[in-house]
Amino acid sequence: MQIFYTDVLCIGAGLAGERVAVEAAMAGFSTICLSIVPPRRSHSSAAQGGMQAALGNAIMGDGDSPDVHFQDTVKGSDWGCDQEVARIFADTAPIVMREVAHWGVPWNRVEAGVHTYYKGGKPFEAEEKREKHGLIHARAFGGTAKWRTCYTADGTGRSVLNTLDSKCLQYGVTIHDRTQAEALIHDGEKCMGCIARCLRTGELRAYFATATLVATGGYGRCYSATTNAVICDGGGQICALDTGVVPMGNMEAVQFHPTGTVPTDILVTEGCRGDGGTLLDVNEYRFMPDYEPEKAELASRDVVSRRMTEHMRKGLGVKSPYGDHLWLDIRHLGVHHITHKLREVYDICMNFLGVNPIEQLIPVRPTQHYSMGGIRTNRDGAAYGLKGLYSAGEAACWDMHGFNRLGGNSLAETVVAGRYVGKQIVKYLRGNLVSFSMNAMNDARLKLEERIEDIVTGRKGKESALKLRDEMHSVMMDYVGIFRNGQDLQKAVDKLAELHERADGIALQTSPRGFNPEMSTALRIKGMIKLSQCTAYGALMRTESRGAHTREDYPERNDKDWLKRTLAYWQEGEHLPTLVYEDASPFYEIPPGERGYGGGRIIPNELPKERFEIPQEATENLKKAKSKGEEY
Amino acid sequence: MNLSTITLHVPEQSKIAGRLDFVMMVSGALLILFLWAHLLLVSSVVLSPVIMNALAHFFEATYMAQVGGPAIFVVMLIHFILAARKMPFEQGQWKAFVAHSRMMRHKDTTLWLVQVVSAIIILVLASAHVFTVLSDLPITAAKSAARIQNGSWLPIYLVLLPMAEMHVGIGFYRIGIKYGLISSARRAWYQRAEVIMMAGFITIGLITLARFKWLSI
Amino acid sequence: MNRKLHIKIFRYNPLDPDSTPHMQSFHINEYDSMTLFIALNQIRDEMDPSLKFDFCCRAGICGSCGMVINGRPGLACHTQTRDLPAEITLHPLPVFKLLGDLSVDTGTWFRDAGTKIEAWVHGNDAAFDPAAEEVRMENALAEEIFELDRCIECGCCIAACGTARMREDFLGAASIVRIARFAMDPRDLRSDDDYYDVIGNDQGVFGCMGLLGCQDVCPKHIPLQDQLGIMRRMLVLNSVKGILPRAVINSLKHKGCCHEKH
Repeated sequence: MQIFYTDVLCIGAGLAGERVAVEAAMAGFSTICLSIVPPRRSHSSAAQGGMQAALGNAIMGDGDSPDVHFQDTVKGSDWGCDQEVARIFADTAPIVMREVAHWGVPWNRVEAGVHTYYKGGKPFEAEEKREKHGLIHARAFGGTAKWRTCYTADGTGRSVLNTLDSKCLQYGVTIHDRTQAEALIHDGEKCMGCIARCLRTGELRAYFATATLVATGGYGRCYSATTNAVICDGGGQICALDTGVVPMGNMEAVQFHPTGTVPTDILVTEGCRGDGGTLLDVNEYRFMPDYEPEKAELASRDVVSRRMTEHMRKGLGVKSPYGDHLWLDIRHLGVHHITHKLREVYDICMNFLGVNPIEQLIPVRPTQHYSMGGIRTNRDGAAYGLKGLYSAGEAACWDMHGFNRLGGNSLAETVVAGRYVGKQIVKYLRGNLVSFSMNAMNDARLKLEERIEDIVTGRKGKESALKLRDEMHSVMMDYVGIFRNGQDLQKAVDKLAELHERADGIALQTSPRGFNPEMSTALRIKGMIKLSQCTAYGALMRTESRGAHTREDYPERNDKDWLKRTLAYWQEGEHLPTLVYEDASPFYEIPPGERGYGGGRIIPNELPKERFEIPQEATENLKKAKSKGEEY
Repeated sequence: MNLSTITLHVPEQSKIAGRLDFVMMVSGALLILFLWAHLLLVSSVVLSPVIMNALAHFFEATYMAQVGGPAIFVVMLIHFILAARKMPFEQGQWKAFVAHSRMMRHKDTTLWLVQVVSAIIILVLASAHVFTVLSDLPITAAKSAARIQNGSWLPIYLVLLPMAEMHVGIGFYRIGIKYGLISSARRAWYQRAEVIMMAGFITIGLITLARFKWLSI
Repeated sequence: MNRKLHIKIFRYNPLDPDSTPHMQSFHINEYDSMTLFIALNQIRDEMDPSLKFDFCCRAGICGSCGMVINGRPGLACHTQTRDLPAEITLHPLPVFKLLGDLSVDTGTWFRDAGTKIEAWVHGNDAAFDPAAEEVRMENALAEEIFELDRCIECGCCIAACGTARMREDFLGAASIVRIARFAMDPRDLRSDDDYYDVIGNDQGVFGCMGLLGCQDVCPKHIPLQDQLGIMRRMLVLNSVKGILPRAVINSLKHKGCCHEKH
């Protein structure tokens, strides 16, 4: 078996992984990125909308500041986020946007003068200031007080990813694409790298690393209707969960995007609504203002998705062979706007739906989109439980999103967390030497080899991996969707436990020679079932409604009992995760309160006064985060 | 800069690749102009052999034929050598390209094969033509007609004429494309123009040949 | 009118000594709005779990699923079966190394090309000041740069290029246009001479024969033809600088399509 040694190992080479890699490589450390696909194909590339950062250049973002951004984020999270982290994020986001601009991202810029924009289908005029001409522009997104989302047309993910990947090339980051991490190498205290499978040859390889980062994105593929790419199967989370000592945070917090298209589930950006698109029902009636008079289509995603589902349940959805859906209307934005600023949307509609959005309505429905939960890390991105293990981006529960993330905040998180966590990793590397243990590596390897042998020989059963996957999909879709209740969730938990047991007996139906795609699924499916179990079980136990987690049987947000984060551990040999809870935030810069949209009752919590004070240490750390980074 | 090739010397900034490309383009453009002019001059026989003889006399009296003829031949050779650098002379390359053009069924790709084949035919036939004409000066309508009526030149011209006109027409379009003078928006227009031009010149050529065929010597 | 589709797929597993290259036929029923992504997954799920192909975003944004569809390179995920005849032939992209069946190694190819042309903005990274306002840029220029940054490296332009088919070392439209992207970016401090160094040769812009296969298959409709023309003219004129009179060079620079360093 080939063994690689490196200072930093990034599992995943999307925006978060590459941003960390660039930070480490610029500091002079050897860095290897593992990726299932070539880095530029990472799912980050599909992010269309933009990145939120309070630059306040656009006239509609006038007066914006990190404080307002922070408030929006905390409200959006329904007070489920870690406020120290959200603060670091909001305060450093503008720096990171400027930094990637310095590296080559062609952000759209402010053009002085009057321009027309649409809100709720009606045209308005705004005049950009002359003194802001040429600075980074912003567009409107849901759940925000100001126009704050920096963008490059509707290919923001693509352009930032291209730029970061080019920096990886420049600074000599080694990329091992078509490589899939299968298990972490650890001794119960330290993480020392991972065992990975080469997707060209099917061979196993070992990677020893002083610091290991998991940045593999979300686990949307546990659902069948998801906007996520086919590689978003939670591979990194599975590796971490399998160690038994690293917990997943808030796995029940799953976001459904209001505008997944029907039937292909491809996302059309929130920018459509931000730029003035409206949602219509079967009678082509604009219904959102009835539910949300103030924000209408631009309330936060959890609220819009819920209202859409509610409206369809009233029988006002459009019937189709693929199930009910609603309409997204962007026709009034005009040919130029649609074919320029919303060009990907135009292409998607034309190529995948056969719909021309300039003249026709786009069929949409809420679709699984984002995992707020993931590997629980501390403020510095270090995973709970194992030293030397880090996580960033969607894979992590750094937890600036709490129970609902705002559009444009996740894409920004990838690079903002990437920069911040990257600096922490550099600091860790400068202060730590690790002795790599061959025994630990061998343990991980033997376990994996045995598992592969089980699958190849079929000695433990004859289950089909694809069939198990389909069953898992239907459980998640039917019982762990937008609206949840105790009965359904219990069914999901039971059914998933059964699938978990059956997953041990997976056997290959085809020849194992060389790389075999069936083997990839076979190796993954058990872990995906485990992640689904964490989601379903966490959702069952959380007897309140918060953000995207909506319990019909517990409709109120219960701050008294549930101002907490779920941590799911998986002890070896168990059939269910072990859940423990921690405080949602170390301190509350903004005390829990009303979001201002979404409605719903709140059961308040009497927090002691000292919980509202910001510790000195946190303030100092924030100051360092905003500096050039020499202090670290 | 390739660090493995500069170990034994300090490299100069070489611009040779660009200059060769430039020469290839300029030589091609010259040949295009020459060929069009040549055809128009020769076709004057259609109006009257007297005009053609007068024009021929003018070019000889000014020594343009004696000097210009061989010069054009040299330009053609240079153009061929430069362009041949791209030609698939290796069997593997040829096979790959033919397979590629079969797979693509793509007009511009197929046209390039036409360029390659016509180039070789033109090289051989045009050399013979230039040698014959220049070794038997002066040029007169009667002599040209005799070559066509008595010798075996008619079939040769019937091959050379369309080959040369196609090569020149495609080459004209290709220069425009390669140097960004034809924008993608105007491409279809130029493609049509190129076909019309080729057809026009071939027709003029055929009429001229017919005139020679039936010209009484 | 749901047809029965006959899909013929190139099969070969280079790592299996018993495998030989051959075409295999699959028959499936066509549905409304069926794409090749749906069709191929259906074949893999229901008929042959060992079938290798690459999909990722399945929305035409990542560039994974380039393949030769009835003779033309294109993205399988955004090809709708209703636009194809009932008999569909699928081959892996040529030029790239075959990994198995329809899967080829575009990642390594593009990384190598990127290294050769030094595909990054050559600026001064150390000069970045987190406290300073960003350097201003015209929005029109940003849009022009993004227009070329939309490349998804799917490899279709390379597979459709006659030159690349004949010569392994040809950098292809994607790489040359990548340089065009840097050439118009004021943050890239390289000069025309520097660009000449990386693509001013027969492996680069002078190797292009203007066949325009690239332009005609590019799934993102990036203006490859115009950019190749601009780069060729820019570098040819660079090579004859000092030979041709400056006035001639200047007037040629501004003919047809052109862009300038802002």
